[in-house]
Amino acid sequence: MLDQLFIGFATALEPNNLLFIFLGVLIGQIVGALPGLGPSAGMALLLPLTFGLEPVTAVMMLAGIMYGAQYGGTLTSVLIAVPGEASGVMTAVDGNAMARKGRAGAALSISAIGSFIAGIGSVMAVALLAPPLASFGLKFNAPEYFLLALLGILAIGSLGGSPLKSLGAALIGLMIALIGVDPLTGTPRLSFDQPTLMKGIDFIPVVIGVFGIAEVLASLERIESVQPIRTRLRDMWLTKADWMKCRFSIVRGGAIGLFVGIMPGAGASIASLLAYLTERKFSSTPEDFGKGAIDGVAAAEAANNAASHGAAIPMLSLGIPGSASTAILLAALILHGIRPGPQLMMQESVLVWGLIASMFVGNLFLLILNLPLAPVFAALLRIPYVYLAPAILGVSLVGAYAATLDITTVWMSLFFGVLGYLMIKFDVPRPPLVLALVLASLMEMSLRQALLLSFGSPMIFVERPISLILLTAVIAALLLPVFAAVRRRRDALRAGVGTGR
Amino acid sequence: MFRRTFTLGSAALCASLYAGLAAAQDMRAPTGPIEFTVGSGAGGSPDVIMRTFAQILSEQGLVENPIVVQNRSGAGHSNAYNHVLGLSGDENTLLTLASPVFTTPIVQGTPSVIDQITPIALLAESELIVLTTPDSAFNSLQDVVAAATEAPGRVRVAGGSSGGNDHILTGLLETATGTTITYIPHESGSAGRATFLGGNVELHFATLSEALELVQSGSGKPLAIFSAERRPEEVFANVATAQEQGVDVVYTQFWGVGGPANLDPAVAAWWAEKFKAATETAQFQTWLGENLYRANPLTLADAGAYFAEGQQTFRDVLTQIGLAK
Repeated sequence: MLDQLFIGFATALEPNNLLFIFLGVLIGQIVGALPGLGPSAGMALLLPLTFGLEPVTAVMMLAGIMYGAQYGGTLTSVLIAVPGEASGVMTAVDGNAMARKGRAGAALSISAIGSFIAGIGSVMAVALLAPPLASFGLKFNAPEYFLLALLGILAIGSLGGSPLKSLGAALIGLMIALIGVDPLTGTPRLSFDQPTLMKGIDFIPVVIGVFGIAEVLASLERIESVQPIRTRLRDMWLTKADWMKCRFSIVRGGAIGLFVGIMPGAGASIASLLAYLTERKFSSTPEDFGKGAIDGVAAAEAANNAASHGAAIPMLSLGIPGSASTAILLAALILHGIRPGPQLMMQESVLVWGLIASMFVGNLFLLILNLPLAPVFAALLRIPYVYLAPAILGVSLVGAYAATLDITTVWMSLFFGVLGYLMIKFDVPRPPLVLALVLASLMEMSLRQALLLSFGSPMIFVERPISLILLTAVIAALLLPVFAAVRRRRDALRAGVGTGR
Repeated sequence: MFRRTFTLGSAALCASLYAGLAAAQDMRAPTGPIEFTVGSGAGGSPDVIMRTFAQILSEQGLVENPIVVQNRSGAGHSNAYNHVLGLSGDENTLLTLASPVFTTPIVQGTPSVIDQITPIALLAESELIVLTTPDSAFNSLQDVVAAATEAPGRVRVAGGSSGGNDHILTGLLETATGTTITYIPHESGSAGRATFLGGNVELHFATLSEALELVQSGSGKPLAIFSAERRPEEVFANVATAQEQGVDVVYTQFWGVGGPANLDPAVAAWWAEKFKAATETAQFQTWLGENLYRANPLTLADAGAYFAEGQQTFRDVLTQIGLAK
């Protein structure tokens, strides 16, 4: 195995390959930073350019775009609170809150470091354990995915603020997700015979509207009083205290990300949400979550990069893509005349190990690229908001159009901008809406698949061991707040009795 | 948009017939960049096929115009075909024809796409194989039929998507054998394959190149191929056709290309010529061999007749399984 890894490194370190890995991560960094243009769109655009390259070089470059985008996506999330992808929603909340406190540089730095450590850790897992992890990933199927998504939805209610408002926002998200076409039968539903609605409502215009545009609308009211964010160079850098607080968050986030990443059906968005929520349980300052918790940012960013590397495990050892990006990597292999599947690691070992080695190299490039630039990007926020607001609006609208090449998406993002504005006004948290929208399709599809698998019997959730564990977690998530409330009341009563009042 | 395209339907039908007649006529190249509109995401089979053709057309110097493969994915390819249907007479856009272009209008009750567009060429065909899990008690298609007869609905298929090729094939199998089989749709063909590899279901349909990997690695056991004859390759030589096993089902997945309604017959004829030339290159033949696809180079009216026949099969089966609106 080690020999193969050495051969892989020998391939990845050829000057020509180094150049293309660098190009890949650079392009990834850029497309990731543009909202609407995610890694898969960027990879699809560049796919034809790889025809002239050796297959291994092509795959190294395309993979670079895939994980480079995870680093780049942090940029818009932190600076203007517009996540480029579903996996950046938590960063858009806490990372941007940090930016408002003048700590954008720290948020960007910890994201880069967290992504790097988690990325390297995941690549080691790919190198050492891909086949067993892949077969473990296959143990997760419809029943497990349903419970995982349900766990996510329930946890959204506890994201902070009023639980009732959070669940209300999540409910709106779930309802939006129902519009379009029934995923199992293909028949239109809630579309009122409108072709636009029949396509369903994509995540991109919603997130661009609810986050980016709504934020601009809300700040227009107080544009006179909005001061550019004052940042001192000292605050740009990561402090020792930050690092001490985050080092285990990165490990935990990375582990969760890898775990979710190896499942063919669950992606980086669930990974970052679960990592964020887990971190809040471990954090010494859980009250900061939602208001700029650096450990929350570290965990979420570590998780989404780990998941994006973890998806390489089912891809390389089974030929099954775990995400839109890995699907394009597989397509690139096919276009270069290589048939992906369970035998890929044996038959194309130079390619596979070259790819794995290139991920080490690429992550290092990204760290070197991002760390020194974090304060530079953070300094963008010193631009007065009057100038910044139109730019944010422009980037948002172009992003909405670029995602689908359809002007209706732009109108839709404006509509959701107004909805997001109203949510800000009525103090309704916005992340639950977006996260529920993302989780809804997985939840619906997997519930119905599970019941088809079991011929309609709900016992399938109890009979499968992993499913049973997740079910227990779901029940605990539902009951614990009730127990806690009961105990609080009892304690309050006792305290009342104790003081004799 | 739907109302407008509907009134164009009959005119387009005439235009497509006319395009057939024009085959012997003069040909004219379009000017400017070309878009191949693909309804699947990057990496889906229609996307890979169109990218391969774009590559061959450019590299072999058959087409000088720059070609961009544009994924307008989502909503059962309707984002893609509605885009092309809205471009009546446009000479710079071609639509990739994969099964959802046929089935989505049938399922959603909207006007047929195939009846409106200008047929240009059939690009490739793929035979399909049915696999079961390696440790399954099934050893032939007959075993499956026996099990599905004894306990209707108890045999499960992990499929690609509702109304997809494997769903149609499941429907044909049900009709031919008088059985009921549970088809479980997924987000994509590979998501269905994950469910199959995880041992959650009995059956899975695959194209030959997908099946090759599963069979060689021992993660799938082939039961039948749904073509008229067996495949010559060593791996598949022992796989009996469904017909040999007494189940009269022959079904091939196919991909084609068409132009917008009212495309100038001279331009359609030019494209037909170019695609035909591309299928004759060694580069294409190598690709075909690697992917275990089949060529059947029909163009213009011949391709149109082939597509119309395909559409009829889709409509019959979708009506029978209750999905047609």
